[in-house]
Amino acid sequence: MWTPASTWAAEALAVFVKEWRCEFRTRYALNTLGLFAFTTLVVVSVNLGPLGVSTAQGTAVLPVLLWLILLFSVAAGLPRTFVQEEESQTAVALRLAATPSALFCGKLLYSLTLVFALAALVTPVFAAMMNLTVESPGLLAGALAAGGYGLAAGSTLVAAIIAQARSKGTLFAVLSFPVLLPLLLLAVEVTRNAVLGDAAGVALPQLLLYDASVTIAGLMLFPAVWNP
Amino acid sequence: MADGAGRQGYSPPVPTSRLVFQGVRRRFGRLSVLEGVSGEAAPGQVLLVTGPNGSGKSTLLRCLAGLLAPDAGSIEYREDDRPLDTAERRRRVGFVAPDLAFYGELTVRENLAFFARLRRVEPARGLALLDRVGLPAERMAGTLSSGMRQRLRWAWALLHRPRLLLLDEPFQNFDAPGESAVRGLLAEHLADGGMAVVANPSSLDFDHVDTRIDLGR
Repeated sequence: MWTPASTWAAEALAVFVKEWRCEFRTRYALNTLGLFAFTTLVVVSVNLGPLGVSTAQGTAVLPVLLWLILLFSVAAGLPRTFVQEEESQTAVALRLAATPSALFCGKLLYSLTLVFALAALVTPVFAAMMNLTVESPGLLAGALAAGGYGLAAGSTLVAAIIAQARSKGTLFAVLSFPVLLPLLLLAVEVTRNAVLGDAAGVALPQLLLYDASVTIAGLMLFPAVWNP
Repeated sequence: MADGAGRQGYSPPVPTSRLVFQGVRRRFGRLSVLEGVSGEAAPGQVLLVTGPNGSGKSTLLRCLAGLLAPDAGSIEYREDDRPLDTAERRRRVGFVAPDLAFYGELTVRENLAFFARLRRVEPARGLALLDRVGLPAERMAGTLSSGMRQRLRWAWALLHRPRLLLLDEPFQNFDAPGESAVRGLLAEHLADGGMAVVANPSSLDFDHVDTRIDLGR
C-alpha cells in the first residue's frame, strides 16, 4: 500500500532519475559546468599560481575565488533545468502529470548532485594548484555542503521563475543577484574560517538558515510559478 | 487483493463523471480569443468543438485541461459526484495536442515509464498502449515521425485511464492503420463510460457526435 508521502517521494525520484538519464545522453550541463570550471581554474592558477599570492593574501582572496568559480560554473549550466522543458515543449506533459512540489524537489536533487560533484572535483584541484592549506577540512566540507546546497536551491528556484519569461539569460542574472548574494558572502566567510582554522562562528548557522529559507520559499512559490 | 481484481476480463464499474463549463472567456492582451463559451459532456459522449484556425479551439481545450486560467466563466469537472479543483483536474484529464512533446533523448518506452511513475500506474500499461497504437518501444522519441509522435501522444494521454479526454486535432498526421488504432481506443474509452471533448477544424472526421460547439466567426 502506497502512502501519499511514498508516492510523492517516488515522483521526485522519477524526476531525478529522468534528469540524469537525459543529462548522460546529452551531457549539456556536465560539459558546460566542466569546461567553465576547468577554464577558470586554469586562468586563476596561471595568473595567481602558488607563488603569485602570499599566504596572508591567499587566505583572504582564495576562498572568494573558489566560490566565484563554483558560482559561475553553476550559473552557466543550471538555468537550463526548467528552460529546457519550456523550449522543448515537454513542460505541458510535466504540468499535466507531475505534482509541482515533487517536480521541484526532483529537479533540486539533480542540481544538488551536479553542484556537489562540481565542488568535489574543483576544490581539491584548486587547493593543490593554489597551494592552499586548509586548517580545518571538516569545516571546509561543511561550507561546501551548505553553500553548495544553497547554490543549487537558489539556482533551481530562479531557473523555475525565469523559465516562462522572455530574455531568460538577463533575468537569471538579475534575479540571482539578490537571491545568491547573501549565500556567497556567508559561504566565503565559513570557507575563510576553515582555511584559517578558526571556529565556524555564526556564519555556518546563518548559511543553514539560508538553505532552509530558500527550500521553503521554493516549495511554496514553485506551484504558483509553474502553473497558470 | 480486492475481490475479483485478478479475474480475467473483469471490468470494475466506472463511476460517473461530468464536465460543465459556462461563459468561458479568455483574452491574450487585447485579443479576445474566447467570448463566453459554454458546453457540457457526460459519460459516453463526445463534445465536438469546431471552427477555423484561430477561433479558440485549442485555447478552450487548454482552459478545460487547467493549463490556462480563463479570465471569466466557470469550469466544473466532477468525478464520482465530487468536484475536482483545477490542480486535480489537470492531473486527471487525458490530453492530446499538437504542441505536446516528449523527451527526445529517451526511448518511447522510457518516456512512458517516466510518466507512468508520475501518474502512479504500472509501467506495463505503457507497453500495452504502445502495442495498441503500433509504436516501437525502443525507438528514441527524438527520431519519431510526426505520425509516430501523434501515436505516442495518444498512448501518453490514455496511460492513467482518464475519464475525460481532451483531444486537439486528434487524427492529424496519421496513416490509415494509425487512425484506425486510435479510433478503436476512443471507441473503447467511450464504451467504458469515458467522455471526450474534441477540437477539430471540421466535423468531417467524426461519425458520431453528441454535442457540437461551433466557434466560427
